Amino acid sequence: MLSSYLTMAAILFCIGLYGALVKRNAVIILLSIELMLNAVNLNLVAFSKYGVVPSLTGQMFTLFSIAVAAAEAAVGIAILIALFRARGTVNADEYDEMRR
Amino acid sequence: MDTTFSQWAWLIPLFPFAAFLMLLAFGRGQRMLGVTLGAASSFAGLVLSILVLIEHMTDGTAYYQYAFKWLHFGSVTLNAGFEVTNLTAIMLVVVTSVSFLVNVYSAGYMKDDERISVFFSYVALFSFSMLGLVLADNMLTLYIFWELVGVCSFLLVGFWYSKPEAKAAAKKAFIVTRIGDAGLLLGILLLYWYMPDHALDFVRIGNVFEGNTGVIAAGVTTWIAVLIFIGAVGKSGQFPLHVWLPDAMEGPTPISALIHAATMVAAGVYLVARTFDIFQASQTAMDIVAYVGGFTAIFAATIGVAQNDIKRILAYSTVSQLGYMMMALGLNSLTGGIFHLFTHAFFKALLFLGAGSVIHAVHTQNIHEMGGLGSKMRITTWTFAIGALALSGIPPFSGFWSKDMILHTALQEKPFLFVIGVAAAFFTAFYMSRLFFLVFMGKPKGDHAHESPSSMTIPLVVLAVLAVVAGFIQTPWNDTLGTWLTDGAEKAHGGGGLVMVISAAVGLLGLYLGWLVFVKGTIARDAVSSRAPWLVRLLERKYYMDELYEMLLVRPLRGLGLLLNLIDDYVVDGIVRAVGGTAVLFGRGGTRLQSGQIQTYGLVTLLGIVILIAAIVGRRFW
Amino acid sequence: MFNFNFSGEFVAFFVFAVMIISGAVLMVSFAKVVHMVVSLAAVFIGVAGMFVLLEAEFLAFVQVLIYAGAVSILMIFGIMMTKHQEADAEQAKPLHETLTAIGALALFGILFYAIRQSDFPEPEQALAQGTDNTMEIGKLLFTQYVIPFELVSVLLTVAFIGAIVLAKKEAE
Repeated sequence: MLSSYLTMAAILFCIGLYGALVKRNAVIILLSIELMLNAVNLNLVAFSKYGVVPSLTGQMFTLFSIAVAAAEAAVGIAILIALFRARGTVNADEYDEMRR
Repeated sequence: MDTTFSQWAWLIPLFPFAAFLMLLAFGRGQRMLGVTLGAASSFAGLVLSILVLIEHMTDGTAYYQYAFKWLHFGSVTLNAGFEVTNLTAIMLVVVTSVSFLVNVYSAGYMKDDERISVFFSYVALFSFSMLGLVLADNMLTLYIFWELVGVCSFLLVGFWYSKPEAKAAAKKAFIVTRIGDAGLLLGILLLYWYMPDHALDFVRIGNVFEGNTGVIAAGVTTWIAVLIFIGAVGKSGQFPLHVWLPDAMEGPTPISALIHAATMVAAGVYLVARTFDIFQASQTAMDIVAYVGGFTAIFAATIGVAQNDIKRILAYSTVSQLGYMMMALGLNSLTGGIFHLFTHAFFKALLFLGAGSVIHAVHTQNIHEMGGLGSKMRITTWTFAIGALALSGIPPFSGFWSKDMILHTALQEKPFLFVIGVAAAFFTAFYMSRLFFLVFMGKPKGDHAHESPSSMTIPLVVLAVLAVVAGFIQTPWNDTLGTWLTDGAEKAHGGGGLVMVISAAVGLLGLYLGWLVFVKGTIARDAVSSRAPWLVRLLERKYYMDELYEMLLVRPLRGLGLLLNLIDDYVVDGIVRAVGGTAVLFGRGGTRLQSGQIQTYGLVTLLGIVILIAAIVGRRFW
Repeated sequence: MFNFNFSGEFVAFFVFAVMIISGAVLMVSFAKVVHMVVSLAAVFIGVAGMFVLLEAEFLAFVQVLIYAGAVSILMIFGIMMTKHQEADAEQAKPLHETLTAIGALALFGILFYAIRQSDFPEPEQALAQGTDNTMEIGKLLFTQYVIPFELVSVLLTVAFIGAIVLAKKEAE
C-alpha cells in the first residue's frame, strides 16, 4: 500500500511543480507550491504508518511543516500584495529584476 | 703599451651621442642649438681622434683594448668593449673629420629647413653609430652599431618624407641593406658556433684564422667569409645589392656626402678590413671579393656615363670606387683598400658637398639644365675641379696614388682585374669630365646662381686641401701607411712606373675625350646615341637592374605577400573571428539565459536535475 | 505489487486519489483564479482524507483547518486584493510549457521508477493500534518536541507580524 501513497504523492508533486513553473499568476504559483508541500506531507505521513519502524515522528514532522507552510503562505501573500502595489501586476514573468 | 689618449677613445662616439640626446630632449624649436651642438660634438670627437691618431703614428705598436662583461650564460661570456688599433685610429679620423665638415656645411645648407634640429640629431646619431662600429672590439657589438647605422640611413634618406621618392628610397635602402645584414648575422652566428670558447672579439678571431691554423675547417671559413662579405655588399653597395645607393640621393645632400664618404658605405669596406684574417684564410672568399669588386667597379662606372642627375652620377661613381676598394681587399692588399677608402672619403665628400653647393644655387639636379657656373661660383668650381681630378686619378691628387696602388696590386695578382680596373678608371675620368664641363663650362642657363655662404665653402676648401695631400701618406716611394697599418706584413709595391704611366694616361685620356665631346664639340654628343641607341638606353636604365629586381623579386614577393595577406585575412582572421564569435555567441546565450525569469531558472534546474539523475541512474544499464 | 483486494481502505484511497488528482489537474487548467482556489481546496480535503486513512486523524483535522480553511481563504484574499487579467495569453510561451511538461513527466517517471524498483519491507510492528494518536501527539508535543513547538509559535508570530508589515500600505 505504501507505494500507492508514494505514487500518489509523486503525481501531486509533479503537477504542483508544473503549475509552479508554468503559471504566470504569482498567486497560482504560491498555490502550486502548497500542492508540492502537501505531496511531501503525504509522503511523511505514509512513511509514518508503513515505514520499517512506524512511529509518530512523521506526523510530528508534518505538523511542523504545516505550521511553517501556513507562515510561508501568509508571508508570500503579503510580499505579493506589496509587489502588486509597487509594480501593478502579479505576473511572475514581469518580475525580472534579477536580470539587473 | 702605455697609452694616453687611446684609453679615452670611447669618448669619441659619446660626444655625438650626447649631442643626439640633448637635441632629442631640448631640440624642439631651438634652431641654433642643433647647429652648435652638432658641430661642437663632432669637433670634440675630431680633436680626440687626431690625438689618438698622433699617438698611434708616433708609436706604431700602440694598442688599447678594454671590454667589460656584458652577457654571461652557461660557459659563454659575451663582452662588449672597444679596441683601438692603427686601422681604428685612421678610420676614426676619417669619420670624425668628414662628419665635422658635414655638420659645418649643413649649417648653411639646411638653414631654411624647419626640422633642422631633428636633422642634426639624426646626423649626431649617425656619427655615433659609425664611430661605435669603428671602435667595436667584437662582432656582436659591431653588429649592433651596424644595424644602428642602417636605421640612421633610413631616417636620413627619408628625411624629406613628404616626398614620395624619398620615402621609397628610404625603404629601399633599408630593405636592400637588410638582405646584407641577414648575411652578416648568419656569418656571425656561424663564427660564434665554430669559434673556440664562442669568442667573437677580433683579437681571438685574428689568432684563430691567422696562418690557417686549421682550427676551423676550410669550408666553414669560406662560408663565414662569404656571409660576412654579403653584409659588406649590402652596406657598401656592391653588385648586386648596389641598387639602394643611387636612390639614396633623395636625402639631403650633406647626408649623401656623409653616407658616401665616411659612414655607411665605408662600414662595409671597414668590416672586411676588420675581419681580414678570416678572408685571408680562404682563397675562394678572397677571389669572390676581388671579382665582385672588380665587376662592380666597371659596371657602375659605365652606368655613370649615361646618368643626367648630378648626384646620381656621383652615387654611381661611389659604387664604382667601392668596387675598387673591395677589389684591393680581395687582392690581399689591406693597405690598398683602406688607402683608397681614406682618400675617397675626402674627395667624395668634397664632390658631394660641391654638388650640394651647386644644387643650392640652381635648384635642379639635372646637369643639362646647368652650365656656365664656373664664373659665378669660383670656390665651388675650383674645389669641385680638384675633387674631380682626384677621382679621375690624375697625379698628384690623392685619388691617383690610391688607385695606382690598387691597379699595381691587380697587375701583380690578377692581370684580368687590372684591365677591368683601367677600363673603369677611363670611364670614371670620362663621366667626371662630362659632369664638370656640363655644369661649370658652357653657356649659363640661368642667371640667379650665386656663390654659397661661407659655412658651405670653408668645408669645401678644407676638403680640397685634404684631397690634394691625403695621397702622399702612401706613394710608391714612401710606404708609411702600409707599414704602419699592417705592422710591416705587407710588402710595398714600389717602383711601378709602368702602372703609374698607364693609370695617369687613362685618366687624362678620359678627361680629354670628355673635353672633346662636351666643350670643343669635335665629337658630336649624340655620336654614340645615334649609332647605338640601345646601348645608351641600357646605360640610362642602369642595365635594367631595377626592372630586373622588380620582375624577379618584387613582383613574386608582392604576389606572395598578397597570397599570405589573403590567407591572413580569411584563414587566420577567420579562425580568430570564429573564436571571438563563439565567445560572443556564448555570451548572447548567457544573457538570454540570464533573463531574470524565475520560472525559467526553475525549468532549467528541473531539467538539470532530471538529466543528472538520468545520467547517474543510467550508468547502471551500461 | 498492486494486488487489488477491494478492502475498504483501498476504495477510500481510490476515491481520495481521484479527488486529489482531479482537483490538482483542474487547478492547473482552470482559467479563473477563484475556481482554481476552490479546486485546490478539494485537493486539500482529499489529502486530509488520506491522512485519516493513514491513522493521522489529528493531522487530517489540522489539514482541513489550516489548508482547506485558512490558506485557501488567505489565497482568496490575495486574489481579491490583486488585479487579474484572466487567462490572458496563457499560451504565450509554448516552448517553456512544453519543456516544463516534459521535465515534470520525466521527474515523475524517475520517481515512479524508483518507487517501483524499491523494496519496502513490511513494518516490524503496526503503529500502536488502538491507542489514541491525538493524545500521543499531544504528549509528544509537550515533552519531546516542546522546544520546536515553542519555536514554531515564535516563527508564526514573527511571520504574521512580518506579513502585516509587508502588506501594509506605507505611510505617506
